[in-house]
Amino acid sequence: MALTSILFLGGIAAGGLGSLLGLGGGVFLVPLLVLVMDVPMRVAVGISLTTIIATSSVTTSGSVGRSLINLRLGMLLEVATTVGGLTGGLVAVLISQRRLQQLFGVVAAAGAAIMLSRLGKRNVLLDPAAEPGRLGGRYYEEESRGVVTYQVKRLPLALFVSLAAGSVSSLLGIGGGMLKVPALNAWCGVPLRAAAATSAFMIGVTATVGAVIYYGRGEIVPWMAAAAILGVMVGSRAGFRIGAAASARWLKLLLAIVLVIVSILMFLRAR
Amino acid sequence: MSAGEGRELRANADDRLERWLGKTLGAGTMLATALLALGLLLQFAGVGAEVSDRLSRAGLIVLMATPVARVLISVAEYAGQRDWPFLALTLTVLGMLMVSFLLGVG
Repeated sequence: MALTSILFLGGIAAGGLGSLLGLGGGVFLVPLLVLVMDVPMRVAVGISLTTIIATSSVTTSGSVGRSLINLRLGMLLEVATTVGGLTGGLVAVLISQRRLQQLFGVVAAAGAAIMLSRLGKRNVLLDPAAEPGRLGGRYYEEESRGVVTYQVKRLPLALFVSLAAGSVSSLLGIGGGMLKVPALNAWCGVPLRAAAATSAFMIGVTATVGAVIYYGRGEIVPWMAAAAILGVMVGSRAGFRIGAAASARWLKLLLAIVLVIVSILMFLRAR
Repeated sequence: MSAGEGRELRANADDRLERWLGKTLGAGTMLATALLALGLLLQFAGVGAEVSDRLSRAGLIVLMATPVARVLISVAEYAGQRDWPFLALTLTVLGMLMVSFLLGVG
């Protein structure tokens, strides 16, 4: 009972922190389970994957009608994320807990670096009269008070990053948005909001591929997953509200600091 | 039909598809949440450990089945639109999901 409450509260914290910048709760939930609650790495990853499915479904159904999700780009990149997810899920058993924790430390540190490098960046938007091309998109943007158009560039790179994001998702229980969103935004011409919404749309299917494999191996404890999922759902709603009001610059700085601490703790645990 | 009209038709179809997908994901998550919450409540109340475990498991299965339903709807939509490249892509994703279910649950 006490454990259930801790998991629920931990889910709220992880979901809240994660949704502040659209990272998903996994990057905070996994360290919480491993470092604070002493849960084995693979059990933590399995639980985290189920919370990612919930976050993806809720976020996607909530953003319908605003044309932010690029369905076609999402469905194309999903081919790569699910191949990665399947491979990651199968390979996870072959990798020692120590190595997985080190890998988590590396990815968290990379996340912090990405966050810091984007502190002052605002996204470039193309001329509204431009053609979106086969995979591009159009949506209404509040800040520009008009319809903005974008084209997708460097598709092979987007596919490669999606493959990596899919494997990381199943190995470490994080959504992979931390890799995809900056890459789509910085290199592939997709505006930040559209990249985040499309990534949130994709991670549900990606996480499902991994979660089903973990579930089949008996590594997902149903009541633990239930408590964490319910917590994450509450937390991410709260996070969205706060995120909309808070300053993006300070949020990024705060999250970068948290990620650095997570990274150091994971390395210490893996020693 | 001009290229512009074709694009408009496609955009409308995509909007409709997005709404359908949103509804499916929303309904699936709601059902899963209800099952998971009920399972936890029973666990807290201390009645029927077995029933509570089954409810949690059912909730997890519904949760994992929801994105599969989303892909199935996309497959049907692109088949209806005769959009072969995207039909092939969504079928591939469906195939990946099926492989993971076979390896995992099956």
